[in-house]
Amino acid sequence: MRVLWRAFRLIWSAAPWAMWRGALMYVTVLLMGAALLGLSGWFITATGIAGLAGIGIAFDVFRPSAGVRFLALGRAGTRYGERLLTHDATLRALSALRTSLMRRLSRLSLPEMQRLRGPLALTRITADVDALDGIVLRLGLPIAAAFLTHGLVFMALRWLTTPDMALTIAVGYLAGAALVMLRLAGATFSPSRAAERANQSLRRDTISMMRGRTDLYVQGRLQTHLAGLRAADDEMRAAMAQLDRVDREAGLVLSLLVSIVAGAALALGGHLVATDALDPARSAIGFFVALALAETVLPLRRGIAEIGRIRDAAENILQHEEQGTKTPRIGGQATGSGLKTDGLSYRRPGASTALLDGLRLRVNAGETVALVGPSGSGKSTLLALLAGTEPEYLGDIHVLDQDLRAYGERELRAVLTMVPQRSALIGGSILDNLALAKPDVSREEADAVLEAVQLAQVVARMGGLDGMLGESGAGLSGGESRRLVLARALLRRPDILLLDEPTEGLDTLTAEKVLAGIRAWLPDAAILMASHRRAEIESADRVFKLS
Amino acid sequence: MSRRSSPKSVALARIETAARPALKRASAVMALGGVLWPVQAGAAAYSIQSWAQGHPEGLMWAALLFIAVGAIRALLDHWAGGVLFRMADRLISDERHALLARESGRVEQAVSSASLAALAAQKLPLLTPYLTRYRPAMTRVMVVPLVLLVLTFSVSWAAGLVLLVAGPLIPVFMALIGIAAKQASERQMVEIGALNDLLIDRLSALADIRLLDATKQAETDFEDRAEGLRHRSMAVLRVAFLSSTVLELFSAIGVAMVAVYVGFSLLGELQFGTWGAELTLYQGVFLLLLAPEYFQPLRDLAAAWHDRAAALAVADEMDRLEATDGEAVPGDGGKAAPLKGEATIACRSAYVLRGGQPVALPDLTLMPGKVVALCGPSGSGKTSCLLALAGLVPPSDGEIRVADRTLDATTADAWRARLTFIPQAVHMPDMTLRRFLDPDETGADIDAALKAAHADRIVTALPDGLETRLGETGAGVSGGEARRFLVARAILRGADVVLADEPTADLDPDTAAILIASLRALADKGASVLIATHDPQVIAALDRSVYMPDTAATEGAQ
Repeated sequence: MRVLWRAFRLIWSAAPWAMWRGALMYVTVLLMGAALLGLSGWFITATGIAGLAGIGIAFDVFRPSAGVRFLALGRAGTRYGERLLTHDATLRALSALRTSLMRRLSRLSLPEMQRLRGPLALTRITADVDALDGIVLRLGLPIAAAFLTHGLVFMALRWLTTPDMALTIAVGYLAGAALVMLRLAGATFSPSRAAERANQSLRRDTISMMRGRTDLYVQGRLQTHLAGLRAADDEMRAAMAQLDRVDREAGLVLSLLVSIVAGAALALGGHLVATDALDPARSAIGFFVALALAETVLPLRRGIAEIGRIRDAAENILQHEEQGTKTPRIGGQATGSGLKTDGLSYRRPGASTALLDGLRLRVNAGETVALVGPSGSGKSTLLALLAGTEPEYLGDIHVLDQDLRAYGERELRAVLTMVPQRSALIGGSILDNLALAKPDVSREEADAVLEAVQLAQVVARMGGLDGMLGESGAGLSGGESRRLVLARALLRRPDILLLDEPTEGLDTLTAEKVLAGIRAWLPDAAILMASHRRAEIESADRVFKLS
Repeated sequence: MSRRSSPKSVALARIETAARPALKRASAVMALGGVLWPVQAGAAAYSIQSWAQGHPEGLMWAALLFIAVGAIRALLDHWAGGVLFRMADRLISDERHALLARESGRVEQAVSSASLAALAAQKLPLLTPYLTRYRPAMTRVMVVPLVLLVLTFSVSWAAGLVLLVAGPLIPVFMALIGIAAKQASERQMVEIGALNDLLIDRLSALADIRLLDATKQAETDFEDRAEGLRHRSMAVLRVAFLSSTVLELFSAIGVAMVAVYVGFSLLGELQFGTWGAELTLYQGVFLLLLAPEYFQPLRDLAAAWHDRAAALAVADEMDRLEATDGEAVPGDGGKAAPLKGEATIACRSAYVLRGGQPVALPDLTLMPGKVVALCGPSGSGKTSCLLALAGLVPPSDGEIRVADRTLDATTADAWRARLTFIPQAVHMPDMTLRRFLDPDETGADIDAALKAAHADRIVTALPDGLETRLGETGAGVSGGEARRFLVARAILRGADVVLADEPTADLDPDTAAILIASLRALADKGASVLIATHDPQVIAALDRSVYMPDTAATEGAQ
């Protein structure tokens, strides 16, 4: 419940003024609906009685009939305004939320960021944000408006009819709806979660089936895997069936509630007329208003159906809210050159032994050092430490002879660039991808850098710098993407370049040319590259072994 | 609005045919619920008339009838909803399994794995509201208003006329707005999809963006796009709200006109509109209560309108996928007893299709105990050849014989049961290394196999040894390490045919030599081994070389 409340406030507070106005209009719509039916019912009953008594001419028909028309038109118009306001405010909140999530994510450490990879984790963020739109529109607003409307209607009915009638309607609806909410909303929590989990495993296993198809065929396990997907599907269906049952039960109970309250108002009206407590026309108001107030409870059905999903989404998002809140460091001015570490030690969170222990390394300006060692020896971790994305280390790292800890994020990026093992491209043109590294890159410079990484011909074949890449750079082969990533890094013209297996996926001849191109482009840079390829190691001035 | 939808999708037509019996039943029951309302309206109207006539006693039965019929209607709705849900659930699950079985059996993948997963898990469920809401609403809109209209006419032709005029006017106006809305929302649907993709795209590149100091710029960019998404969504919503407002407006005007007409008639100021006798209070209240319900099915249909749009989009995607031609992998990929006979392969003037183009396979014979090199430059079809020999691609022409049988759909599963295929890029599934090596949990000696494949040291370096989870979400191993795991698995399975695709690519010479040695060791134990390679050192180390056709001549120039 606390989670829902926090998420509600988060969405509401993005545009509180619009939300309040929307809420006010929501209540107005409900009140006008109740007034419309109540007035019509009263009008017809009263005219009927007047007609019976033969006093038709004396009856003031114009004000009530004008009221009916005003309420009818006003209600439709107000409904339109309310929907526009609340939806706009909600979308505004969601868009702000997306931006703030993105901002927080961009402050995560590099390994955390890389763990985010995979469309699954990312659609969670977008889908979760989308799921939150219901919290105000289908839960908060209808519930608050229902309470307010019933309060106001109660007072009006007390005045127009009798306290009994007002109480019957208000208590009947509010108690009934509260009972439904309490009994049924909670029942959706566990199936919502189960359905979501099964849905995710269905997606994940489908992806892994398609990617590992060859192996599944050769192993004779494709049918087994398909059976596994069927099991995940069955699990999801079972959970969905449970959700559907809750949803329909909510619908059933709410419809029953409307019939019972309206029926009770009808019975009570008859009793009031029989005991001369109220005239027939005013008694009719009770019944008609009770009928119109169905509008206050029926929308809750969708809220109930969604509440489990909304809660899970809220939990995921609020958890992200707490991530990545580390404060950025304050920058300084560096004047030296090269890269060096002294007594550098690092232990993975939770690990018992240190991965790096008292490491001493120096890379001078203009020098290329190959970092070798078996996998798991910490090559990539060392690069991440040097790139300043992992702040929890012991010992010292000096970049251009200044302590790494004294650098601000932007100052560091201005002098040091790292190309991680797995780098992502973005959808858009080749030039867009290059502009990511240097927004004002000229076409000449772009051509030159592509030449340096042996990519000029490939790009020419794709229609030049304006050739378009698909999602995540689709359209380039593995080796071509790798070279574009390198070109992007070169455009930064860093003093220090950290490369993690830079020529992975390139044939030897191309690899040699690319490595030469990098050095030619950055003659004075200190280059440290994690390598296992002969071509890379041979191109280095020196080899540094991690064990 | 009851017009037939534009060119029907094949998939949707198939699903609707299967849904028809349940749809008919449920829609009929829902419509029955709709036409029961006049009973409730009558009970209420009778009560109020009795109050006005001065005998308000003994009307409890009317209130109870009102509640009882209301309860019956709610139960009917509840029951029909259950029928509809179960029908949709079953049909969608069937479609999902058919889709997955079909797509997993294609030689050439027709869509990306992620799109297929999204279609199966996220988009197919969008057909549910179409089946459970839109279709029944269509039926209701054709039945309920008609019945209520007849009832209204039977009481007063003037009130009936009001409804008759207002009713059809709604679809006309809705159609006008709908045409604009449909175009707008279809365009926006596409754009929203594209924008969402773009957001995901930027998010996946987050680490790179930070390392390139483009965070600030990317954030602004992201903010613009998120705002853009909002603007576009609002544009669609505005039209949608406008159309529902038009609908509400008409129904409100209709109801108000009926109310005013009834009021004036009851006062005796209007003397027309009934069939002779004067309108009674009972009739007046009855008419007033019928009017909103007359419009309700139309409003339900309008509310379900976007369910239809979403379903059509999904069906369109299904159609496109179904219409994509392509060959199927021979066999069904199930467990099979290994094919009997000697581990031989013979290939004579066979061809396979690659991207629609025929690729000639070399004439080759593979015998147990031998390690043969399959040579040719990149792009000459070595991988296609290996896939064909593994029974993963059917030959388009000619014949491949394995263990003295024709390799086809009937023998492919049994043939694959005795072979190991080592691809260039090994896909490590998200499972523990132990399960990967021994998926059937036979309890075979994993350590010995790892040792034989020179992969034991890789395992010691992994954080949790054999229990390490590999794959996209787990620990990474390099391509060369993954290939050595596959060799270990070949040893564990007792595979006696090994097809390896460039197994030494990206390996340093020492590791490459170890890998070749372990493949050679498999041959020494009686396996037939074929290695596709263009590495001269590897070719020199093997027993014999076979060249891809048409490439032997150009090989020297490489």
